[in-house]
Amino acid sequence: MIKIEGISKEFKEGIGSKRVMALKDLTLDIHKGEVFGFLGPNGAGKSTAIKILINLISPDAGRASIMGKDVMDKDTRRHVGYLPENPYFYDYLTAEELLWFGGRASGLSNKVIKERTDDLLNKVNLQVARKRQLRTYSKGMVQRAGIALALVHDPDVVILDEPMSGLDPIGRKMVGDIMMELKAQSKTIFFSSHILTDIERFCDRVGIIVSGKLRLVDRLDSLLSGAAALENIFLKEVEKAGGGVEI
Amino acid sequence: MTVLWPIAVITFKEGIRNRAIYGISIFALLLLGANLLISSMIMQEVGKVAVDMALSTISFTGLLLVLFVGINLMAKDLDKKTIYMVLSRPISRPQYIIGKFLGIVLLILTTISILSIFAVISIFMVKLSYPGYFPRFSWPLILLSISFITISLILLSALTFLFASFSSTSFITLVLTIISYIIGQSIMDVKALVEAPQAAGIKVSPVTVKVVQAAYYVFPNLSIFDIKTQAAHGLPITLSYIFWAVSYGVVYTALAIIVASVIFRRREFP
Repeated sequence: MIKIEGISKEFKEGIGSKRVMALKDLTLDIHKGEVFGFLGPNGAGKSTAIKILINLISPDAGRASIMGKDVMDKDTRRHVGYLPENPYFYDYLTAEELLWFGGRASGLSNKVIKERTDDLLNKVNLQVARKRQLRTYSKGMVQRAGIALALVHDPDVVILDEPMSGLDPIGRKMVGDIMMELKAQSKTIFFSSHILTDIERFCDRVGIIVSGKLRLVDRLDSLLSGAAALENIFLKEVEKAGGGVEI
Repeated sequence: MTVLWPIAVITFKEGIRNRAIYGISIFALLLLGANLLISSMIMQEVGKVAVDMALSTISFTGLLLVLFVGINLMAKDLDKKTIYMVLSRPISRPQYIIGKFLGIVLLILTTISILSIFAVISIFMVKLSYPGYFPRFSWPLILLSISFITISLILLSALTFLFASFSSTSFITLVLTIISYIIGQSIMDVKALVEAPQAAGIKVSPVTVKVVQAAYYVFPNLSIFDIKTQAAHGLPITLSYIFWAVSYGVVYTALAIIVASVIFRRREFP
């Protein structure tokens, strides 16, 4: 469903010519209906990999495809829902207008958009605030509006970059419930996080990335079948990579 | 068109609800109100002053709109990453640029239309108070002048897109747009001067002539859209002049948007 083949990406740091390797030869294969957790410390390359999947940046080497189509093809995104890390939307739009945009841009009719909007705004508990401009929203409310926007066109593949960040416990439960529902609908979910409990709760498989390199990919149940907890496995991988521990 | 329209709509809504637009509109209304006061104080060429003042207000307000609302709409997408919500849809970079541009064109058309109504009212009231000062007055010329102002603002907006497509900050876009505006307003006069310096009794080096001639072809010649003086004095404008001016505006705007789209295609949004 999501195929990443040998992707590398370098960024220029500052005005000088110093270059930072954000991703090194990343290869991943995520299957249909799978919930894949992308785990890594801050700056490990999780968001870079996700932005390549959305075609916001292009890789220096390698290729990525979703549902058999290259991510460079804009039509790929017809089947993909994306929530960026710390999402920010147009201040003066309402949640309703935001979802209208997402739906129309994905080719939905106004009737379908209305139904989806009612359903999703109920799920993320923004029904009361649906006609309020987003600039009046709290951080958590913006995050929830972002989740509704990612799902408005009923995508087959959902890519969430730190979906729980900025959410209070009620918001986290809400998003957790949505993820479980998507899982029950056999949607493919690729989400990044550094919150281990979230990974343990939702994922079928886990990939640990440190300093741009994928250190480990395995099924969560096999990882946890040993004596070590996910936290210890993660810390061990970070240490092995020679990186600082920052959870 | 199916993906361009949603982008244009959200851009328009984001722009029209921006508080800056209220400030700009209040400023314009004050200037148009002042038109009545100033006309009554001058008591010479009242008609020409009233028309010139009303058209200058529209032109200046439009410029403020392009510089402070238009540029900000594009800059926010890049600075605050609101562009993610657009590009994560099945929308290509050129479609994003064209949709966004259409939204800003819609914003300019709406704002100028509203301002024009007030401008027409202010001219009408002065005309009603001092009918003797309007011997060669022409409403069609005033409407033509407003249309030309609108075309020049749309062209300037297209330039802001071109600059935003490669500049890293909105400040650079703003500076480049202001420079282009200043050069665009005066380049025709400067070219005429350096090509016939003896008329002004000055000497100009051949290099300067070449530089000015090059600038003449690179920067937009905005002065061709400035027919405020003709409108104020009721001087006729030929149909061929209108045709060439409109064609120039359309071609320049289209070229700027095409180049912006080509550059934007390669841009990354980390």
